[in-house]
Formats: sequence, C-alpha cells, structure tokens
Amino acid sequence: MKEIFTMWKNVRMVLLTALCAALYAAVLIAFKAGIVIVPGITEIRPANILPIAFSILFGPAAAWGCAIGNFIGDIFGTLGPGSFFGFIGNFLLGFVPYKIWGHLVPISSGEEPEIKTGRSWTEIIIIGFISAAVCAVVIAWGLELLGFVPFKVLSTIITLNNTAAHIVGGILILLVWARVKKIGLYWRDVMAEEDVGKPILPKVGALLMIIGGVVGWIVGAFILPVGSLVTLTIFLIAIIIAMFLL
Amino acid sequence: MSIFLYTPYKSMIHRLDPRAKIFCLILFFALGLVFNNPLYLLPILILTLMIAWLGNSLKNLWNLRYIFLILIAFSTLLWPFFIRGPTELFSFWRIHFTLESILYGFAMGIRTAIFLIAGVTFLSTTRIEELTTALIKLKLPYPLAFSISTAFRLLPTFVGAGSTIIQAQTSRGLDLESGNIIVRMKKFIPLLVPILIYAIRSINLQAMALESKCFNLTKDRTFYFRLKMKKSDYVIIFILFCVCLITLYLRISGYGAVLPRL
Repeated sequence: MKEIFTMWKNVRMVLLTALCAALYAAVLIAFKAGIVIVPGITEIRPANILPIAFSILFGPAAAWGCAIGNFIGDIFGTLGPGSFFGFIGNFLLGFVPYKIWGHLVPISSGEEPEIKTGRSWTEIIIIGFISAAVCAVVIAWGLELLGFVPFKVLSTIITLNNTAAHIVGGILILLVWARVKKIGLYWRDVMAEEDVGKPILPKVGALLMIIGGVVGWIVGAFILPVGSLVTLTIFLIAIIIAMFLL
Repeated sequence: MSIFLYTPYKSMIHRLDPRAKIFCLILFFALGLVFNNPLYLLPILILTLMIAWLGNSLKNLWNLRYIFLILIAFSTLLWPFFIRGPTELFSFWRIHFTLESILYGFAMGIRTAIFLIAGVTFLSTTRIEELTTALIKLKLPYPLAFSISTAFRLLPTFVGAGSTIIQAQTSRGLDLESGNIIVRMKKFIPLLVPILIYAIRSINLQAMALESKCFNLTKDRTFYFRLKMKKSDYVIIFILFCVCLITLYLRISGYGAVLPRL
C-alpha cells in the first residue's frame, strides 16, 4: 500500500483525489433527500456507482477521494462521530477494488480493467460485492459501537445497496475507460513505477479481504447476536492485515 | 444561492477560532456518548439547542425538523427488536419489548439528534476556508488539505454542471423516477458519463496549469488567512472539557444508563 502515501507528491494524483471527492460529494448531496433507508444514517445512494469506477481508474486517489467525498457529503447535514467510520469505510470502498483486481484466483483474467469480456465482468461484480461488504462491516461495526443502529441492520443495507451500485459502476468503467487512458489519467500511467507498492502476498491478502468483508458480514448479520462487537473485531483485524498484504 | 450551511452573523460562536470550534464539536460528540438514559441526554440536547440558538443556526435546524422526528421515532422502534432489558412490557412472537430497550432506543434517537445539531451548528458558524485552514494548523498534511479545499471549490462547479446535464437528459426523455433500484441506478449512467468526462477534462487542464507554474506540494507555505486562539477560546474548551469529565464521573458512578452498554 506504498502508493497510498507516495501519491501525495504527485500533483495529478492530488487533483484526481479532489476530482473524486468533489464528484462523489456532488452526487451524494444531490440525492441526499432521495429514498432514506435509515434516517440520518443512510439512504439509497446512486453516488455509490462512482467508487468502484474511480478505484479502477484512479487507484489510490479514489481511496482518499471517496473518503473525503463522503466526509464532504456528511458536512451537508449528517456530520457526527459516525463520519469517522464513514471516512474509513469509504476509503476502503475506493481502496479494495483496485488492490484486488487481478488477484482473485481463478477468476482474474490478468487483463487491464477494460470490462469488455465476460470474465472481467464476473471479476468486477465479485470485487464490487467484496468491497461493498468490507465497507459495510467497518461502518456498521462503528455505528453499533456508537449505539446508532444495530450491525445486523446496517451491514446488510450497505452491502446490498453498494453491490447494486457497483454492478452499474462496471458499465461506467466500460464507457469511460478508453477516454481516461487516452488522456493519460489512468493511475498506473500517472504514477512513477517506483512509487507503486509491490504486493507482499496478494492472493492471501485478497482471501483475507473476503474473510474480513463477506464472511464478517454474513457472521455479524445472520449468525451472531446483537452486541457481538468484540467477536466482529476479528474481521476488522483481517481487513487491516489484508491491506498490508495487498 | 449557496449550497453550504454557513450563515453570516455576529455571534460569540461565529467569533470563536475554528480550531476551538473543532475541539468543542469533538467534546460535544463525547458528551453525547456518555449516557444512554433519555433523562440524562435531554439536558445535553437542550444545551446543544441553546448553543445553536446563540449561533443563529436554528433556521438550518428547522429545515431538518422532519429528519429529527423520523430519526427519534425510528430509533425508538428499531432497538427493542435487538436488545432486551429486565422489565418486560409485552411480547410478540419471539420479540420481547422491554421498558429498558424502548428507553434505550429513544435515548439513541436523542443521541443522534445531539450529534446532528452540533454538526449543523458547527457548519452554520464556520466558513469552509476557516475549516481547511484550521485543519492545516492542526497539522493535517498540506497535500491532503489542498485536496480537500480543491474539492470544496470544485463542488459547486460540478453540482452546476450536473444539474444542467440532468435537465438536458430529462428533456430528451430520461425518466429517473421509475423502476427498481438497479434500473434506477442504470439510468444515472447517461448523467454520470458526461459529468465525469467534464470533470476529467477540467482537472487535466488544472493539472497542466499547476505543473507549468512548478507548483510544489512539499514546501512550507504561508497563508493569507491567519488564525489566532484567544483567551475566550481556551476558556470555552476548558469549561466543556470539565463538563465532559463530570458526566463521565457520573456514568462511572452508575448514573445515566438504562442498559449496561455505550
């Protein structure tokens, strides 16, 4: 995850972070008064089409951009201690897709993420589901800790809402990939090779991310009783370890 | 019309240093977290509302009145499904509604309302420029602060471009109101693609402009907007900190909890 830190010395990556943040926040704010699921906590978010597309196109800039964008979205009426967990959850929403793209054995094609083949579509849908679950586990854990909403309720809402949005996000990548690549703003083209971290154990990292996100969501939402935050911390630890391995 | 909540007014809250306001906001969040008994949370709610009144933020809060009501009602109804106390009121199928779980749900609604009121008051009394400068003064790395302030600056531009594109596509027959979640989200694609392309182009131009001027994110910078903490800032932080300590002591002594959880 070296590039998460080294990207800050690159002006283009910093501006791409601002782009992701501003666009994500703009769409979040525009649809904040839309269909509310949990009042003051979450709503149906068409904006969540963006993180997966941003992540694949702009890499680490998307991770920071989604986190900042969600924070800015919170500033328009829902700022609270939950915003801290929203920041981390949305950071992961932008971090996970680009990090595990190409490392999902045996689904990964190893191609650039043009999303033109059936195999790359399968990969993007699975990645979308994993990143949605990872984001859900972190935010729902934090908000139950603060006493806002039970993990069972929120984790399921976030996972399903984000997964639906991520499927549509794949279409967005398909439509803008060629243009982004042509302008030279694909993150691997923008960043110097020595600034991009080499994954330590990418396949193990991807597996741990699945355990932390998907298994964490299933166990927390359908098996454990409310208030099992200590047990759920194991899944958060799995996510943190996965971040370092990827 | 501004899309931000900031309301210009000459109040004591407006005059506070933004760093002091950030500390006070954190302390208010901490205050809201101490108790889970509505009787103990109500005075904190009243105190938060009084501060909102002092900062002339009640108009912004009034616009959110339905959210507050739904939020408290939703929380009161939701929590009894998941937690249980000793005093059972009635049961339905396998769900036991207890006095403590209903009170806890009501308290959680009040807690969320306290957080929202404190957040709205902060944003109604603090300009975005003050917030970003305060974050830099609080040792937030400059590239991150630059990125946040650029995002804030780009936001109205993108919102404006977005609303123009929505009008253009709607006039061509795009219906955003019908269909299930996936169908509705798919309909956002004809909106998001032009917005994204517009955003990418403008960022590319801005990057070229900055690079041609040898813009460097790593050097120490000076700022036009300077902040200075006054005695009143320290006094208010100190008072709120003492209030937090007193409430924490009360909670540790066994007061203010209907159930033994946060």
